[in-house]
Amino acid sequence: MRGAVAAQPRGNHRRGLSIQLAVNIAVLASIYALIGCGYVLIYRTSRVLNLAHGELMMVAAYLLLATASLFSGHPLAAFAASALLGLVVGAAVYLVLMRKMTGERVLAAVLATVALGILLRGIVVLVWSAQQQYPGQALGWSNPALALPGGARISAAAAALVLTTAAAYAGLFAFLRYTRWGIRMRAAGQNPLLAAQRGIRLHGVYALAWGLSTFTGGLAGMLIALDAGLEQTMVVIGLKAFPAALVGGLDSLVGAIAGALIVAAAEVLLIHYVNPLLADVVPFLVLIAMLLARPWGLFGTREELDRV
Amino acid sequence: MTTGAPLLALEQVEVTYHRVITAVQGVTLKVARGQIVALLGTNGAGKTTTLRAISGFLGLDDARVTEGAVAYRGERIENRPPHEITARGIVLVPERDKVFPNLSVAENLVANVPRGAPRADLAYELFPKLAELRGREAGYLSGGERQMLALGAAIACGPELLLVDELSLGLAPVVVQDLAKRLQEIRDRLGITILLVEQNAPVALGIADWGYVMENGRVVLDGDAARLGAHQDIREFYLGQSSGERRSYREVKQYRRSRRWYG
Ligand SMILES: Nc1ncnc2c1ncn2[C@@H]1O[C@H](COP(=O)(O)OP(=O)(O)OP(=O)(O)O)[C@@H](O)[C@H]1O
Ligand SMILES: [Mg+2]
Repeated sequence: MRGAVAAQPRGNHRRGLSIQLAVNIAVLASIYALIGCGYVLIYRTSRVLNLAHGELMMVAAYLLLATASLFSGHPLAAFAASALLGLVVGAAVYLVLMRKMTGERVLAAVLATVALGILLRGIVVLVWSAQQQYPGQALGWSNPALALPGGARISAAAAALVLTTAAAYAGLFAFLRYTRWGIRMRAAGQNPLLAAQRGIRLHGVYALAWGLSTFTGGLAGMLIALDAGLEQTMVVIGLKAFPAALVGGLDSLVGAIAGALIVAAAEVLLIHYVNPLLADVVPFLVLIAMLLARPWGLFGTREELDRV
Repeated sequence: MTTGAPLLALEQVEVTYHRVITAVQGVTLKVARGQIVALLGTNGAGKTTTLRAISGFLGLDDARVTEGAVAYRGERIENRPPHEITARGIVLVPERDKVFPNLSVAENLVANVPRGAPRADLAYELFPKLAELRGREAGYLSGGERQMLALGAAIACGPELLLVDELSLGLAPVVVQDLAKRLQEIRDRLGITILLVEQNAPVALGIADWGYVMENGRVVLDGDAARLGAHQDIREFYLGQSSGERRSYREVKQYRRSRRWYG
């Protein structure tokens, strides 16, 4: 991620600079949006905040190292296999761990995700060590910088990330609007009891939400790793995407895009004009500002926070 | 009541909320195939709880059938999850929150997991008004339209037994009359058995074959719908046709006597 965002503008030309800043904002917003939709999917179907989302995303990215050696010579297959594994891991986490929490207090479920996150971090260090890894090398993919009109530059992985985010959102919107299971997912989010009374298997819907959430998070994790390497600090990126999802209102995908843009713009501009050291706190500053300014707007108007 | 094994039988059912609050106790009732059975009672009598004991609780309801048995086609179904009850052919139209407000009318029908083939067309056929409202968000429907959608969606699940909680709640008398006719049509044409919870005794007894009256979590009276409608206590307590002083609801002894009298 750093690679993409910190890409240096060519020359000091003003227009070139502002275009480069816009590109950086777009890339960072894509990252936050792609990660953030995972928070939204789980929250809006089951009212649970998944605070292990960053860790799950990281696990999916590390799985790319495993699939890269498994499918050596077929990088695309390795990438696809790792993404699908993310889907399976997410659904499995729900079915094995979170399923027991359905119907418990939301706080218990959120605490369970915190514990899960710590556990996953430990597993990752044990299995893959704490050293920085480069799945891009393992796949044999180079990451050239592409020139954009106006003198701006973007790395190939960052460009792939922007396109993937657009495709993921288009796919999610279509899924939620036009497919039976997508509509059931929305129904379960609105009224789980009525959904069950209409024959919908809640555990199935929730497992699907967890699977899709880890799938999209995993795509983000893998593309970030291709761009900037992979280490445990990826969790921080996952955490920084949370304010983006929250600022937009946790139960809306459109809101997640808006929130991602706001947070990314604030972050890129403050890094550039004020101090690069602000990078990791900006999302949380934006979040606090948002909470102070319009706390009622955060979760939309129609639903209460404490429904499971 | 018709002889032979009933479609649904509750035997001495007790439901407990939050492990301590006993909402209904010793409820015994039977629904024969092809009948419309009315379950009457004042506020808090335990009608909704009885229907929920049949249709199933979620973990977050923190409610359980703690005594007795609910048998559907001879199989025990108490404390099974709601989606499983629906898959067996029992579908509930709940009292409140009966549609998904942020889904369109069409989406409300699509969200179902029906038994067998999807029957959204059946809902439109029974309630042509719904077809006009297809694209409308269910949250914006009027009370009557919402009840039609709830009934339509339940029918689209392909039930054998339809549980309806408070058909008339908050609806104009003409609308209630119309919906009551539709229920009869649903039974006559589709052969769906109906257990109907109502505050409005004349409406319910008008279309029902058999009626039960609940009071304080117990069944206190049951009988042929026509005879119940003519019963003095019913007239006084539920039809509001009292001759002189209204008696207290708590006069359960009176009910017990009546119950013996009916046999
Ligand atoms: N979730 C709950 N937790 C605790 N007690 C409950 C719960 N739901 C119902 N009760 C209690 O159970 C009793 C029966 O309630 P129920 O809703 O079944 O009555 P009802 O006959 O449907 O009333 P109404 O006509 O007002 O709908 C009431 O005393 C009520 O307070
Ligand atoms: Mg009720």
